[in-house]
Amino acid sequence: MLGGGSTSFRLAGIYTAGFSIAVAVLGLIAMLSTRAALIQEFDARLRADQVTVIDGYNKSGLPGLLRELGEVSGGPGASLFGVQSGAGAPIEGPLKGLATPVGMSEVRTSLMGKPETLRVLTVDLGGRYRLLTGDKAGRIEALSRKVLLSFGLAFGGLLLIGIIAGFALSRAVQRRLDAISGAAEAIIDGDLGRRIPVQRGDDDLSRLAATINRMLDRIGVLMDSLRQVTSDIAHDLRTPLSRLRQRLERSARQAANPADRAEIEGALRDVDAILATFAAVLRISEVEAGARRAAFRPIDLQALVRAVAEDFAPAAEDAGHRLEFQAGPSAWIEGDAELLTQMTVNLVENALRHTPSGSTVRLSTAVEPGAASLVVADNGPGVPEAERARLFDRFYRLERSRSTPGSGLGLAMVQAVARLHRGEARLSDGMPGLKAKVTFPVATS
Amino acid sequence: MKLLLVEDDHEAAAYLRRALEEAGHTVELAEEGREGLLAAAGNPFDVIILDRMLPEMDGLAILRTLRAARVRTPVLLLTALDGIDDRVEGLDAGADDYLVKPFAFVELLARIHALARRPPPQEVVTVLQVGDLRMDLLKRTVTRASVRIELQPREFQLLEFLMRHAGRVVTRTMLLEGIWNFNFEPQTNIVETHMSRLRSKIDRGYPRELIHTVRGSGYMMHEPA
Repeated sequence: MLGGGSTSFRLAGIYTAGFSIAVAVLGLIAMLSTRAALIQEFDARLRADQVTVIDGYNKSGLPGLLRELGEVSGGPGASLFGVQSGAGAPIEGPLKGLATPVGMSEVRTSLMGKPETLRVLTVDLGGRYRLLTGDKAGRIEALSRKVLLSFGLAFGGLLLIGIIAGFALSRAVQRRLDAISGAAEAIIDGDLGRRIPVQRGDDDLSRLAATINRMLDRIGVLMDSLRQVTSDIAHDLRTPLSRLRQRLERSARQAANPADRAEIEGALRDVDAILATFAAVLRISEVEAGARRAAFRPIDLQALVRAVAEDFAPAAEDAGHRLEFQAGPSAWIEGDAELLTQMTVNLVENALRHTPSGSTVRLSTAVEPGAASLVVADNGPGVPEAERARLFDRFYRLERSRSTPGSGLGLAMVQAVARLHRGEARLSDGMPGLKAKVTFPVATS
Repeated sequence: MKLLLVEDDHEAAAYLRRALEEAGHTVELAEEGREGLLAAAGNPFDVIILDRMLPEMDGLAILRTLRAARVRTPVLLLTALDGIDDRVEGLDAGADDYLVKPFAFVELLARIHALARRPPPQEVVTVLQVGDLRMDLLKRTVTRASVRIELQPREFQLLEFLMRHAGRVVTRTMLLEGIWNFNFEPQTNIVETHMSRLRSKIDRGYPRELIHTVRGSGYMMHEPA
């Protein structure tokens, strides 16, 4: 493949075009100046020959002219002559029938049956005779064409070499650029240890690769310090919460009466709720950081959703809901099984929690060209359009749901996992109810 | 049981030690990594409880050193880190279980018990038996009083887990991690719903109940006294 619109091919193309145009222009100039020089030489020869003949006329009149004429026009490549009366009537010579003005002119005529272009020098001999000296200009044309042909060949050759060299050059450059962008893609995907291979040599691309590698080292250092900060925060928040929990546990054990114990156990539940929210926020940040991509494997979305449906159907039934799974074809994507499961569970629990007893929740997967999707749809009260977009915000709760359990983080996690997998989660009107659809891109190979 | 607790947080260590001793265990305490390493290498313990974040020596480094020195005592790792990879990292370093702080004390207790009585790795068990309940792991069949019981795949996994931990408490978190591979807490109590269905197949209609609920902790499979 031509380096598909690659910069280097374009550059090579521009250089080649420039040089070729230069060659063409030079060729034209060379041809024109060659032609001019040839004409000059041609005319000089005509003049020289003519002078010899005129000398003869000056010495001995017409017989002298005719004698010189015979001698000069004898050899091969000799000029052609024509003698006419002062009025132009033909007297002698192959050019005698031409009607040309005095001086140098070009005329097209038929010579020995063949059409020829002649350059003719016409001179008036004291009004009594006219002398025409000429020759086929075809040779000039032939030579000019030869010059043009040589330059034309050079032009063509240059163009061909330019294209081949441009192609080869762009391929070589493209390969190096591909190595760089390939390593960059792997890094974006989460493989932070990768570095760009640096070839020997000190050209621009090597320097670029080295600079990018230094940038990656810096990013690695920043991420390490970020990880350290996150784990420090986790430790610093969890340690006092841990002590708080232990204190409450001990108090509950030592509580004098059941009423006190119940209060303390209530406080314990609140502490656990804080911790669950905290853990969920940390988990979402971890997912958003993107490093999980490095561990992606092929996953059948259909099998995963079916497993969740089977696991949650009994619990749903006990709460008076119906959980259905619509079987379909296998839907393979690259992903993280645990995160995808958590995402699906969040969607299912969201549907179960926000629909009244007796509602149905339907799970299904679908495969389209270039994408695979999963859908969790319920036939409950649904969500008005204005609020639907905000449901993915962290901690956002619908007015009517404010008193129900839940931190408002479930859907934020769903979107984070969807985006990690380069997909998108969307909510729409289930007519009735709410329909949540998560779409993942599938590499078409 | 003889336990080694390696924990640098003085107050947490004191609390755990007291609670564990109240539960009937002997606890040796090391508040430093090096101290813990020496203690573990020198004396036989039933379970080592190791905090992952210790001041001068990383808990995982201690763990790896222990394993390299062929100390096979089961290790329960305690940590404030519950990143998705942290758990795998801990298990890869040689930990047998991983508990995120803060945790309910009953959870710690249940897991220590679960770790202490693991069969040695060379032993391969093909049949599990509790009372007249028999599970054939090769044929994947379950019978009680010689009558075949049909179980769904999840119910089978649940029963297998209970039977492998027979006589010990199994917490909801242990089941979510061990059977469902969930490293998060679903809001819905799927453990309870599957357990009740399992019980209706295993226990209902039989004179002696084998699956028991341990209030505040979880479940336990044992023959009633």
